Amino acid sequence: MSARIQPGVLCGAAVALLCAYVVVVYGQGGGAAAAQNRTTEYAIKVMPPGGPPPRLPDGHVDLSGHWLPNSAGQGVSGRDGVDPAARRQFDPRATPEEKPAFQPWAEAKIKAMTPVELELSKSSVNCMPRGLPAIWLQNPYSTVIVHTPTMMAQLYEVLNNWRLVYTDGRPVPKDPEPWFHGTSTTHWEGDTLVVNSFGFDERTYVMPTGWFHSDAMKVTERYTRPSKNYLIVQITVDDPKVLAKPWRSAARRWTLGNGEVYEFYCTNNHELDELGKLKEQESYGK
Amino acid sequence: MKIAWTFTLAVVTAAVVMIPTRLFAHHSFAAEFDASKCRDFTGTLTKIEWTNPHGFFHVDVKDADGTVHNWSFQTYALITLRRAGTSLELFKQNIGKEVWVRGCEAKNGRPFYAAAGSLKFASDGVLRQMGQLQD
Repeated sequence: MSARIQPGVLCGAAVALLCAYVVVVYGQGGGAAAAQNRTTEYAIKVMPPGGPPPRLPDGHVDLSGHWLPNSAGQGVSGRDGVDPAARRQFDPRATPEEKPAFQPWAEAKIKAMTPVELELSKSSVNCMPRGLPAIWLQNPYSTVIVHTPTMMAQLYEVLNNWRLVYTDGRPVPKDPEPWFHGTSTTHWEGDTLVVNSFGFDERTYVMPTGWFHSDAMKVTERYTRPSKNYLIVQITVDDPKVLAKPWRSAARRWTLGNGEVYEFYCTNNHELDELGKLKEQESYGK
Repeated sequence: MKIAWTFTLAVVTAAVVMIPTRLFAHHSFAAEFDASKCRDFTGTLTKIEWTNPHGFFHVDVKDADGTVHNWSFQTYALITLRRAGTSLELFKQNIGKEVWVRGCEAKNGRPFYAAAGSLKFASDGVLRQMGQLQD
């Protein structure tokens, strides 16, 4: 009897474990002392701001750079010693991202997907271009931006995709052919570059959750560079055929890297075959 | 009774907090690989496919009855391996040498096919992440 662990001790241990987990995984809790410990403990840390942003000859903020989708300015996946805060693009406690409000038919369509169908819909699995806005919402690899007063080129590592956004005010067609990155117009609001896009290929998904979109989707990207090392991208999706109201992403951080940019052609994809077999097994099970 | 309830609440809360990081850790692991069939493999590295969207390395693994099977292990995309410091050259240097792998088998029953979580080459003993398992 004396060897049994008292319930109160178990309870205390569980609560302590929970607190420790929250501090480690969700990073920025724990106060100044914990923050101080983190800066000395982790090999890969949150990047400092790095001074004022560079400017284009016309005075606008220059968004050029090799941008990584985290707060570390280098790769964080598959690596140890990374500050959890450096892994993130935003802190969900400080700037929670709202859930999309789907129309009932769209919600039902997504819920009807089997796990394998959901998997097969993901561009990370089927090697289809991510397209806009997914290229900014579900892309774990880097993006190089080359920005001039008249154009912003976005060179994505993933699938070696690229996109040109013209900022010279050229007219765009009223009914453009559907493109994965849409057709875009731009304007500046102070130091924020606003890109409005429409005319999308319907084969892409906004998020890897089955969130499909219609031909009526409009996307607004808001780009800011508050300091040299940080690019902030905020996305708004307006899709009146699928969503009950427009969806706003959190302001997501991308940080300036100086490492190599890698090639990524999808040439050896086993996943379609393997998941296809699973889908057959799923069908037999019905 | 109150303590028991508090304990249950703490455990349930911990579980709820931990679930998202497990479920969303990797795009395809849960759908394609079986988290209940994860184990350690030791064998001889025979081949590396340095390709996207995943790399594959092949290992001759001896069964308990002495039969040797050539296993294929899926890795992260090459970009992730490279940024984590794992290169093609490293694999080439270890062909024909012993390697230890933690991996999980395919859900669809494909034999000798698994997702790799971590790897150690006997030549340097460094633990390297190859993918994110949910075992």
